[in-house]
Amino acid sequence: MRVDSTGSVDTVISCQRVSKEFSSKRGTTKVIENISLEVKRNEFVVLFGPGQCGKTTLMNVLSGLDTATSGTVYSLGEKVVRPGAERGVVFQSMALFPWLTVRGNVAYGPKARGFEKSVWIEKSDYYINLVGLKGFEDSYINKLSGGMKQRVGIARAYCNEPEVLFMDEPFSALDAQTRYLMQEEIMRIWSTEKRTIVFITNNIEEAVYVADRIILLTNCPAKIKKEYHIDLPRPRDYTSPEFLSLRDEISKNMDRTL
Amino acid sequence: MRKILQRMAQNSMYAIISIVSFLLLWAIGVQLSDIKIVMPGPWEVIIDFVDSFIHPVGRYTMPVHILYSLMRVVPAYIVGSVVGITLGILMGWYRPINSIFRPIYELIRPIPPIAWIPISIVWFGIGEGSKWFLIFLAAFVPVTLNSISGARSVDPLLIKCGEMLGASKKHMFRTIVLPFSVPYIFSGLQVGLAGSWATVVAAEMIRSTEGVGWIIISSMDTNDVAQSLVGIMGIGIVGFLLATIMRNVEDRLCAWTVREV
Repeated sequence: MRVDSTGSVDTVISCQRVSKEFSSKRGTTKVIENISLEVKRNEFVVLFGPGQCGKTTLMNVLSGLDTATSGTVYSLGEKVVRPGAERGVVFQSMALFPWLTVRGNVAYGPKARGFEKSVWIEKSDYYINLVGLKGFEDSYINKLSGGMKQRVGIARAYCNEPEVLFMDEPFSALDAQTRYLMQEEIMRIWSTEKRTIVFITNNIEEAVYVADRIILLTNCPAKIKKEYHIDLPRPRDYTSPEFLSLRDEISKNMDRTL
Repeated sequence: MRKILQRMAQNSMYAIISIVSFLLLWAIGVQLSDIKIVMPGPWEVIIDFVDSFIHPVGRYTMPVHILYSLMRVVPAYIVGSVVGITLGILMGWYRPINSIFRPIYELIRPIPPIAWIPISIVWFGIGEGSKWFLIFLAAFVPVTLNSISGARSVDPLLIKCGEMLGASKKHMFRTIVLPFSVPYIFSGLQVGLAGSWATVVAAEMIRSTEGVGWIIISSMDTNDVAQSLVGIMGIGIVGFLLATIMRNVEDRLCAWTVREV
């Protein structure tokens, strides 16, 4: 059991009064304001909010890809100041390495960190299999469909065995059918290999389908508006009355934007 | 596969039609006008070209002339490319290196290699040395430029991705910056190769006793237009073959880039 700076047990990632401003010639824009949150081990947390409300900026700050203007992010009690292998990211635009095969992409982390060949082969085999890409190990990325590409993205992040996985609208580039399929898939993958996941989406159905907890953000600047613990049994049914009423309630609380 | 073959057959058919009609127009034009002294017909040139493989032009046959020219181009081109790739990638990726070398590079860049001919002869003599120097420049300049832009264009998200996966700066340079730059480097290598081949011809026209450039310049002394055209044909064919070889190497090394056939 690890104890973080806030004293609570088994918090994997937390932040305190984090704000982020961007300045340009036209002045400064506050994108996130005074956000404090904690994510527990193996929790599936969804950051949910309208359009361009600053969810991605929040994720960048939490993962260390960007720094906060004020406030602090802790990962297992240590300050987060830069990206690192403890915090994996699945990107909206996938950001795969096109010159590498599926195997090369998935094994990139373990290879970069100096694991022996037998180890990274075994790890990448396991996670390629887990995301359902067995048989595509030697395919190049450009030959894959959108859904398959994001499976590679998920396997690559998983294969590095991070403490927390950030997923930034990972399915938003997929068509509607593939998106439903990938929502089921991420649930299957997560229940096989439990990890702490911070998942960003602006799709209410997706949020209710996957989350243990939904953190509802306001429109720009993003603040925490409300939190919902979702304890519907899994696998969830998009059309069950409980699902629909939750979906309705959260939708009503969401800020409307153009 | 069948479609590709079909398209290839179609393409080569068009190629043959276009070449044949070009030669026909040439032959008819020469026949109808009175310019035979300054412009021989195509058959004469083709026969002379084939003949140059059997009977020497000057001291050597055509293949030997080509070999001489290639012996000037290849080593200097390779050295120029290696130096260009190394310097270009480092300049594109590390700001201090760029700040140091950019001003000098920008001064050398706009100077056409043939402008260096007199100085190169003074520095390296009229032998192979001066030609190697000129070809080095012809390769080095475009290869460096394209390598810089390759390393500059690396997607910052991929670098973040590398950091996120725990890669060191050195590891990312090798596994992200370099492979990302490969297509850029190859377009530099293509430009550099064409430049090198053009430069060797110019250098041989100034001073040499063999090579494809010499074939052309010596035809001036004898007023032999056909020989000049034979030399031009040799230059064209070898240049085309070099570019084709280069494209094939690129296709092998960049199997990951999806291209329409």
